Amino acid sequence: MGVRSALARLAAGAPTPAFVVAGAGGRWAAEQLWLEPRIAPTPSPRAADALVVVGYLSEGLLPAVMLAHDQVAPPRLAFQWLPDGAPDDPLAAMVPGVRVVEGGSLVEVVRDAHAGLLAGRGDGHEDAWPDVEPAPWRGVGPYGQGGKGMTGGVPYGRPLTGRADDRDGLKLDRLDVRVGPVFPPFPSGLELVVGLQGDVAQDVSVADNPFEGTAVADEVFRRALRQAVPIAELEVARARSHLRWLGGALRVAGLHALGRRALSLGVRAAPGDADRVARLRRSLARGRGLRWLAGAVGVLREDLGGPVGRAAGHPRDARSEVDEYRALGFEPVTQEGGDALARWRQRVAEAEQALRLARVAGDATVGPLDVVEGPRGPLGTGPLLLDLLPDLLVGMEWGDLVTTVVSLDLDLEEAAVRAGVPA
Amino acid sequence: MSALAGVLATVAAMGIGVYLAAALDTLAGRAVGGGRLDVGGALALPVRRGLALLLRPRARTEHPDAEAWALAPAALAGLAAVGLASIPLAPGLAVADVSAGIVLFGAAMALVMVAVFLQGWSANSVHPTIAGYRFVAQALSYEMPLALVLIGAALPAESLSVGAIVESQAHLWNAIRQPLGMPLFLVAVAGLAFWGPLALPEGEDLAGGTSAEISGAARLAWRVAQLMVLVAGAAMTAAVFLGGWHGPWLPGPAWSVLKTVAVLVLLVWARHRFVRVPIERFVWVSWVVLIPLALLDVFLAGAQALWAAP
Amino acid sequence: MVALGAALVVFLFWTGSFLALRWAGDALNPPPETAPSRVPFLGGRGPETHAWSRFHVRYYAMALVFLAFDMEMVFMYPWAVVFLEEGLMAGFEMLMFISILVLGILYGWREGAFRWA
Repeated sequence: MGVRSALARLAAGAPTPAFVVAGAGGRWAAEQLWLEPRIAPTPSPRAADALVVVGYLSEGLLPAVMLAHDQVAPPRLAFQWLPDGAPDDPLAAMVPGVRVVEGGSLVEVVRDAHAGLLAGRGDGHEDAWPDVEPAPWRGVGPYGQGGKGMTGGVPYGRPLTGRADDRDGLKLDRLDVRVGPVFPPFPSGLELVVGLQGDVAQDVSVADNPFEGTAVADEVFRRALRQAVPIAELEVARARSHLRWLGGALRVAGLHALGRRALSLGVRAAPGDADRVARLRRSLARGRGLRWLAGAVGVLREDLGGPVGRAAGHPRDARSEVDEYRALGFEPVTQEGGDALARWRQRVAEAEQALRLARVAGDATVGPLDVVEGPRGPLGTGPLLLDLLPDLLVGMEWGDLVTTVVSLDLDLEEAAVRAGVPA
Repeated sequence: MSALAGVLATVAAMGIGVYLAAALDTLAGRAVGGGRLDVGGALALPVRRGLALLLRPRARTEHPDAEAWALAPAALAGLAAVGLASIPLAPGLAVADVSAGIVLFGAAMALVMVAVFLQGWSANSVHPTIAGYRFVAQALSYEMPLALVLIGAALPAESLSVGAIVESQAHLWNAIRQPLGMPLFLVAVAGLAFWGPLALPEGEDLAGGTSAEISGAARLAWRVAQLMVLVAGAAMTAAVFLGGWHGPWLPGPAWSVLKTVAVLVLLVWARHRFVRVPIERFVWVSWVVLIPLALLDVFLAGAQALWAAP
Repeated sequence: MVALGAALVVFLFWTGSFLALRWAGDALNPPPETAPSRVPFLGGRGPETHAWSRFHVRYYAMALVFLAFDMEMVFMYPWAVVFLEEGLMAGFEMLMFISILVLGILYGWREGAFRWA
């Protein structure tokens, strides 16, 4: 076995492919794994050697994560990262062999275990779900065929799908799929029930928010509701949020390297980085690629507040009501059109504006405020973007659908917190 | 060249080409992403990643089309090798420099559509299926510019053989006397190898698309086959537009290799510079802009050839 | 003919070696057999039906236009070889042929064959 261990040592030098799931309180830490050169997050669990769950899991996310665990080809690894002093999490009980890591050493633990897995020392073969065939055999013939109707019976464990009317008159098959809470391009927790005909979504609805009851609120902006907070801190947090979103959006658009650059800027943005963000904004404005990807896609013209409303041209911003911001010369930034491209531009422009504000703010503080303008809109008020999704996404081709969902910068944890906390 | 020598030649060419393409991609990613440009690490990374994939098992889905799923990456690799085989490295140094070389290349590249579609369809899973059908739309759209600019390059050579086309560039490269040809061909090659801005069947919006349900040796095979198609396309670009083996000081084969590597660098740069194009937009642009430009290129090439002919 | 034979051998070699690689990989690391590990990835739950279906291929009109252009391409291959000999007349004849087909693209553009959502 000397050859195998020598090859395994060579192979262990490559980044560990891992399927990363963001639980409650883990969104930013999960994004930071994209910057770690020794871990390569994968678009699907089959491409991975390990499942890495960052944050707490709720009952809503648990079945999906268990299935993702099983879809990683065995022998496999499973890790969960919890912040220090965390209470028990249901994942450890339901998934065999998961290693719970607290504190700061997740990457080292993953790398050690991965080296062992490649050398053949791993024994992670057990599944989380029981080994039961998906559908009972039904039908007459030896392959489950026969029975009533044209596709009677259940061939090979699952039925074949049936036909449905379509808007151009051709009555062809319709696939009803639940694109689930751990689908990488979607924000963690978003589950869409989509009726697909071809690659166009005929019917879209949003399943229940799995973060109900276990969400962890975003601290910086909520503090401004209760006490005085330095403006620079608020604005830097806003810029970081937008830049991290940009990193993820660029990745879904196919530019992994540029997305990593935006993400690293977002992780450590400081007031002095306003010019770098301006350069990034200018380089994104060049060329037609972004216009082709996101232009005239997912148009939302209503005044919904937050960057989405401002991208449609409505200059409503809770910060314009605050004297301290007005003293700094704050004017809301808007775009025209309300499509996904406008939302992209809006967030990058707002990130640049936020960093410039932070630079001139000095030590000025603001608060406690009645309404705080968070990176996704005024905290705790305004229509839920999730409720708008079904009408917005119907009739879209799949790529446009994903572009629209990404451009809305949804945060299901925040939506769950809002639903749970009285106004 | 005998068949055995031909096989060895394609093994050598594809081995070096695929490895270089993977290493260049890593380097370009690091350069754009802002990390350290660890060249030694980037050169070792393709080997490490390949080994890491070989040591893992191949995943399965519930009821895949097993034969087609096995055949898809193998056929893709075979077709890419046949495409490369039609390109001569130097006069007389070719595996299959047939008198209708660009027809052989076009035929092999047309069947790439079938191989990629089979890869998506066989997994019996929604995302790869959508990816496979998307690639068919993409393939039908880049097919015409691919073939038309090659025909334009064949006009001054009065022959469909790639060797004759290279010979006809002894005084002037086709990239200069047919300026529309090379950009169109590069777009078509990116579409053919589903690379960079045209990586539609592999898109993140489909959780990896055609590679969403594969792991282990199957994943390595698919990635290598894709890079083989890219290398074949780059080699064809170098031969048909950049003058192939013509060049001072160095021997002919060295120039062919250098020009292919230059085209690979260009394609790798394009992957990290351009956003992925949505399928409908690509189909529209291809039929309304690219194909008329390719037709214009054919007639301009014809006019230029008539005017330059004695 | 010999050259085409060499191309066929190259194709068979590469196809065969990739299949052999897959078979060897299966022998060393057998693919998993359990039901949960074989569920297609959708992001959460498993699918309810097979993905194999009568997929609504919405670009069928574009495919028909492609067929017309494909046949035109077949004619252009021999035309390219004899073009210089035949001179300007051959160019005009092909131009007439192409312009009829370009009408097909214009029709498809107007009818929205190149967009489908």
